[in-house]
Amino acid sequence: MERGKTIEKLFWRIAGRSSSPLDVQSDLDTACNLLDKLVLRQLHLMEEKIQCELNIQSSINNGSIHLAKSRYIMGQSSVSITRLPTESSPDFAASTLCETTEEDGVKQLQVVENTAENTVNPLRWFGVLVPQNLHKAQGIFQNTINFVVECANVQLQIQNNFKNIECLKKYKSLLQS
Amino acid sequence: MALHAAMKGKLISVIGDEDTCVGFLLGGIGEINKNRHPNFMVVDKNTAVSEIEDCFKRFIKRDDIDIILINQNVAELIRHVIDSHVAPVPAGMFNPEDLVRN
Repeated sequence: MERGKTIEKLFWRIAGRSSSPLDVQSDLDTACNLLDKLVLRQLHLMEEKIQCELNIQSSINNGSIHLAKSRYIMGQSSVSITRLPTESSPDFAASTLCETTEEDGVKQLQVVENTAENTVNPLRWFGVLVPQNLHKAQGIFQNTINFVVECANVQLQIQNNFKNIECLKKYKSLLQS
Repeated sequence: MALHAAMKGKLISVIGDEDTCVGFLLGGIGEINKNRHPNFMVVDKNTAVSEIEDCFKRFIKRDDIDIILINQNVAELIRHVIDSHVAPVPAGMFNPEDLVRN
């Protein structure tokens, strides 16, 4: 929040900038300091995103093992795309959605459960008595959705941070000219 | 009801191989709306690149989708279309290829 305000303050200064060389120098110092902080934050965010992606990858791997075990128990075509709904199936709503909130001027997403009536339990596509592994796979993939949304949030922060860095670079070159 | 749901939250769509699609749909992100448009696409070795491109463009145009999940190997096939999408939302996430089958 503070960082956002400082950037805003700097932009406002452009409008009513005084031509005093001392003022320009202090503006330049502030811009450079802020730029350092933003670049450092960008690196932290990148690290966070890589960690999120690794979490997604390991979750998908775990889930896939349970899907494979269910396939072994139920038969090859029992856990496959042939069981998924197609365009000719009756319409139904997703049971997991993501809601948009705004945090420090950055759009952030969060997982919400859909309360609509026409949601379905996906396990029913694969039969009434499904093996325990399919239940486990469902739990793992539900958890993966949380990682995915977390990863999307970090990506949105990275994009916003990048925009700020670009703005600040332009301001800096303006001061130097 | 559908309108109410659309206002409450947006969808996560998925373009990927069989296991990825089955898994995420099992997680509860799958939907078929009233116009019979699903929010997922299963890609196999016979799927044409143009089909994947069209599907990705359709998902971008839909205003009820916030996140598009794509397998890394599928994303490589339509790299030029993905690169031309610069808007922050819908956000594209790329799943690295899973290591189970290697």
